[in-house]
Parts: sequence; structure tokens; C-alpha cells
Amino acid sequence: MVLGPWYILVELWNLLTPLTLLYVGASTFIGIVIGMLPGLTATMGVALLTGLTFGFPPKDAIIILICVYVGAIYGGSRSAILLNIPGTPANAATCLDGFPMAQRGEAGPAIGLATTSSFLGTVFGLFCLAFFTPLLGKIALQFQSWEFFWLAIFGIVVCGNLTAPTDPLKGWIAGFVGLLVSQVGQEGIAAYPRFAFGFDQMRGGFALIPVLVGVYGIAEVLGVMRETVVPRVTTQIQKVLPRWRDLWQYRRTILRSGVIGVIIGAIPGVGEDVAAWVSYDFAKRGSKTPDEFGKGSREGLIAAETGNNACIGGAVIPVLSLAVPGSAPAAVLLGAMWLHGVRPGPLLMVEFPNYIWEVTAMFILASLAMLVLGLSLVRVLVKVLMVPRPILMPIVLVLCVIGSFAISVRVFDIWVMLAFGLLGYPMRKYNYPAAPMVLGVILGDMADVNFRRALIRTAGDPTPFFTRPISLILVAVTLLTVLARSAWFRQLLTAGSARLKAAFSRP
Amino acid sequence: MDYTFRRPDFYTGVILCVVSLGIVAECWRMPRDLQGWPAYASPGVVTGLLGLGLFGMGLALTLRSVGRTGGPLAICGTDVRTYLADVGTRRLALMLGISVVYCLLLGRGIPYWLTTGGYLLAVMCVFRAGPLWQIVLISAASTAAVTYVFNRVFAIPLP
Repeated sequence: MVLGPWYILVELWNLLTPLTLLYVGASTFIGIVIGMLPGLTATMGVALLTGLTFGFPPKDAIIILICVYVGAIYGGSRSAILLNIPGTPANAATCLDGFPMAQRGEAGPAIGLATTSSFLGTVFGLFCLAFFTPLLGKIALQFQSWEFFWLAIFGIVVCGNLTAPTDPLKGWIAGFVGLLVSQVGQEGIAAYPRFAFGFDQMRGGFALIPVLVGVYGIAEVLGVMRETVVPRVTTQIQKVLPRWRDLWQYRRTILRSGVIGVIIGAIPGVGEDVAAWVSYDFAKRGSKTPDEFGKGSREGLIAAETGNNACIGGAVIPVLSLAVPGSAPAAVLLGAMWLHGVRPGPLLMVEFPNYIWEVTAMFILASLAMLVLGLSLVRVLVKVLMVPRPILMPIVLVLCVIGSFAISVRVFDIWVMLAFGLLGYPMRKYNYPAAPMVLGVILGDMADVNFRRALIRTAGDPTPFFTRPISLILVAVTLLTVLARSAWFRQLLTAGSARLKAAFSRP
Repeated sequence: MDYTFRRPDFYTGVILCVVSLGIVAECWRMPRDLQGWPAYASPGVVTGLLGLGLFGMGLALTLRSVGRTGGPLAICGTDVRTYLADVGTRRLALMLGISVVYCLLLGRGIPYWLTTGGYLLAVMCVFRAGPLWQIVLISAASTAAVTYVFNRVFAIPLP
């Protein structure tokens, strides 16, 4: 732990080869382009590249995916500032102040501030990743089947709650659908083929990447092609390099947004969009000039962009320590690690002790590439925004097909991708968030195997699910999350606190 | 115009209830003494519980929708006609139709470059991406690039 910085430097040195640097530059650029094109998200980008880089050596494939992830979360700010359309959901809060800045002729400074605060957020997140992952990993070693089962349920409930804030029921439904999707095919204890209905292809279940590419990629392609209005960039961009005075002036906002981003990132499945909104909200509450928020406030822009990029590091902490993703793109990253033979989880520090430092070094390279490309390729990237959607989207669909097909070389996976695209489109239209579903697909096997294994270990006695300390905490938080969204529980709490106040105020 | 059906929650809830009951029934049919494992470790236990959970949520969605004020529950002919007349619906149907045909043609012995080139050309023509010569050029170049990069450079098999 004390030698962590040294290990990071060693891993960074190992990564500094011409080929790796080429991958870093190219994949960060691809990530930025994916992020800045409205309709293409970071999750879709990482899922797509997972399939396309399947044949690569594991180290190269993972660094490419990390660069795409970092680049895409940042890239969305570009269209948010120039078009008032968030490139990814993570950049929705950026629109509020980025676009007004562009409207008053400050598109360049807005892009510069978004780039530097994204960089600072990513750096803050990756240092938290390096520091907290080993600590959480030690706690995770105490987890057994009972805790892993509840962790899966906790993840789904919390993720559903936070990604569908106006209607958590839809978030939970999406999560349960994901859990059920993961149950198709041979299960993990007796290899019984569930829901195969006599089809050989179904015995293997639905592969993760075609499902994710379908839910995010195909649904997005269909959604974008449905639209008739194509936005145009009309703003002139001058000086991009930010003033250091601005960054220093808002150092507290940067630090606070970084902390918020990391904490939200570490909550299973919640992700960068929530991190950006919460950071923005806290920045507004703590600002000396809250009235400027929404009218082109530099502080608001910095808060949103620092928060969403700091979330990346936070989201990878539970991936490495618990094998539970903190966001939808991190879920795909976890799937990619599995595909390449890395087994994140409590035993990672035992089996691959240097892996955390290696991932941290990869994030450092990704964030540096993002900073350099973001500040230097401004006009080139604006031209990408002008590519007509009817040209871009069919090419994206072709890449989705290759990405889904490449992993197992099965035409069945193309149909799976298409089917989940058809499911993902109405889900998006009727406000069912995709993130809990993705989390469900990832955590379903963990919930199933650990529930049954726990019962086998206690000869059918379910008591330890509710009596072991960590289990109890997870059950309590899960129940509270559900109950807190019901009106009668809130009324009960209000009535209870009123009675308490009355009791204490009596002479 | 972005047309939205009335009471989508009601229909979603009903569909979820039916599907989840089917899941529970299928789980009930799964073996309960597989390879000597006790019944509580049988393959259908967790899946069945998840199915019951989804049924509960589907029921809650349905009842909530019935309880809320708004338009009538039944879909009328005007709804369907308005939806079908919507420009967005037509664009969606076109893109979906061409994409489904493309996916169904893959892996059936037709050369990949031919299927993909045809698909790109069809979508770009239908959605009027530009002048015809430009569309032909872009679709041919994209197909050649995708085929070469993934099949030759990355050694990824193509369907």
C-alpha cells in the first residue's frame, strides 16, 4: 500500500511502448467521438470495442476500453456545449451552463474548462481507485455467499432507485428483468439448462456483450434514426486553453465534485449521470453566486464535468474489489475483464496483486490523452458533429453486428443483439433505465449461485441471511431504500418525528 | 411529432404479469432433486423467486395505472392510426425493417461485403443521406474498410 505510487510508476513505465501509446491515442479519440455524438453512449462504445478487440492481448484490450470509457464520458461535453444536446447522459448537467456560455461567444473557454475539469476529475478518481480498492478488497475478503447474494440485490435496488428517481418501480423492474435474463442457459451449480426450450444455442445462455450492444447500441441507432431534426453547430470557437485563475478560484468546487463523483461511482450501477447532477446541485448550494447557475456559470460547468469524470475511478473501485460494477460502462469493463481471463473480486489482490496499479497506470495514460486531444483537436472534433446521421448510424449498426459476432462467432449472437435492441428501444421510450438491467445481467449469476450455495451450507436454514453482520447491514439498507420511496413510510416518519419533537418540547 | 400511447404502464404491467407467471410455472417444472442436491438448491429456486418479484412489480404497475386518472384504458383505432401516420414511426419502421433483413441475411452464405454494402446503400438511399454518387462511394468505402480492418488486420471472422 505504501509502495503504491512506486508500483504505479513501474506499471506506467511498462506501458510506455509505441504500440500502447498508439492504442491510447486512437482509442481515446474514438471514445471522444463516440461520446460527442448524441445517441452514442460510453456504455455502447465500451461494449462495441469489447467485441472488436476480443482478439487483442488482454493488456492492450483493457487499456483500449479504459481509454474509450474516459474519452466518451468527456466527449459528451462537446455536444452539450455546442449543441445543447448531451452526447451521453453523463453530460446532461453540462448543457445547463455550457450552452449559455457558447451562446454568449465563450464556446472556446467552455470547452477548455470542461476538458481540464474532466481531466482533474479523472485524476482525482484514479487516485481514489488506487487508494481505496485495496482497502475495500480487504473488507470484501469477509464476504461469503450470504453477503454476495444480498450485495447483488442491494445493487439492483439502489441502482433502480437512483437511475429512475421519478419512478423507482421502473428501475427495479428493469433490474429484475436483467436478473431474469441472466438466468437463461446452464446454471452454475448443476449445469441444468434453464429456459432453453430444446434449442442448443439457448443452453449457453445470452452472452453479455450482444445483450449490452443490443440494449445500448441498437436501441440508440433506432432512436437516432427516428428523429427528423438534425442539430447544427453554429457557434464560433476561439481560444480554448482555460485560465488557471478560473480553476484555482473554483478549487473547492473541483475537490467537492471529485469526492461526490467517487462516492456515487462506488455505489453499484448508479453511474456518471447521477454523479454530474449531484455535483452540480451541491456546487449550486455551496456557491456564492447561485443565481448564475443555468445562465452560463463557469462553476456549474466545472462541477458537472469534474463529477462525472471522477465517477469513473469510483465506479471501477467495486469492479476490482467486489466484481460489482459501479456504472453501466464499468459493467461492460467488468465483462471484458472476465472475457480476457482476469477475475476481479476479493481475491484479485491475492491472485493478481499488481493489477490495481496496472489499471491505475492505464487510467493515467487515458486521462492525459484526453487532455491533450481535447485541447488540441477542437476543430476536427467539431467537424465530426456535422456528419449526417443517416451516414453514421448504419455504419454503427454494422460495427455492432461485428462486435456481437466476433466473441463467439455465432450468428445466434447477432439475433440476440437485435432482440435486445428491440427490447431496449421501448424501455428507453417509456423511461425504464437500462443501467439496472445491465447490472442485473452481470449480477444474476452471482445472486443465483450464492443463494443456493448458502442454503446448501446451512442445510436449508435461511437464518444467516439475516443474522450475519454484513448481511444485516445490506438487508437494512436495501429495505430502507425501498421503503423510503413509499408515501406511507414517509408519512410514518413525519408523524414519528413530530411526536418526538412534541415529547421533547413538553415542559 | 413524438406519439405516445395512452396508459403504457397498464399494458406493460399486464405483459410483465403474464411473462412472470410463465417464468414461475417453468421454474416449478424444473427438477427438484437434480444430481442429489436438496430441493432448496434446485435450479428453479432463485429464478422462481425473481419471477414472483417481477409479478409483484408488474401487478403494482398495473394497479397504479388503473388508479390514476387519465385517458381510457382501451386502445382505440384513432390511437393506432395516429401512431402509424407519425413520421417518426415510419422512419423507425424503415430502419428496423432494413436492419432486420440485414441481420437475417448474415451467415447464410452470401458474401459479407455484398450484404453489408447493400445494407449501407439501402439505408443511406432511403434516408437521403446525400447525392447518389456520394452514397455509393461512402457505402463502398465503408464496406471495404470494415471488411479489411476487421477481417485482415484484426483477424476477426465476419458473418
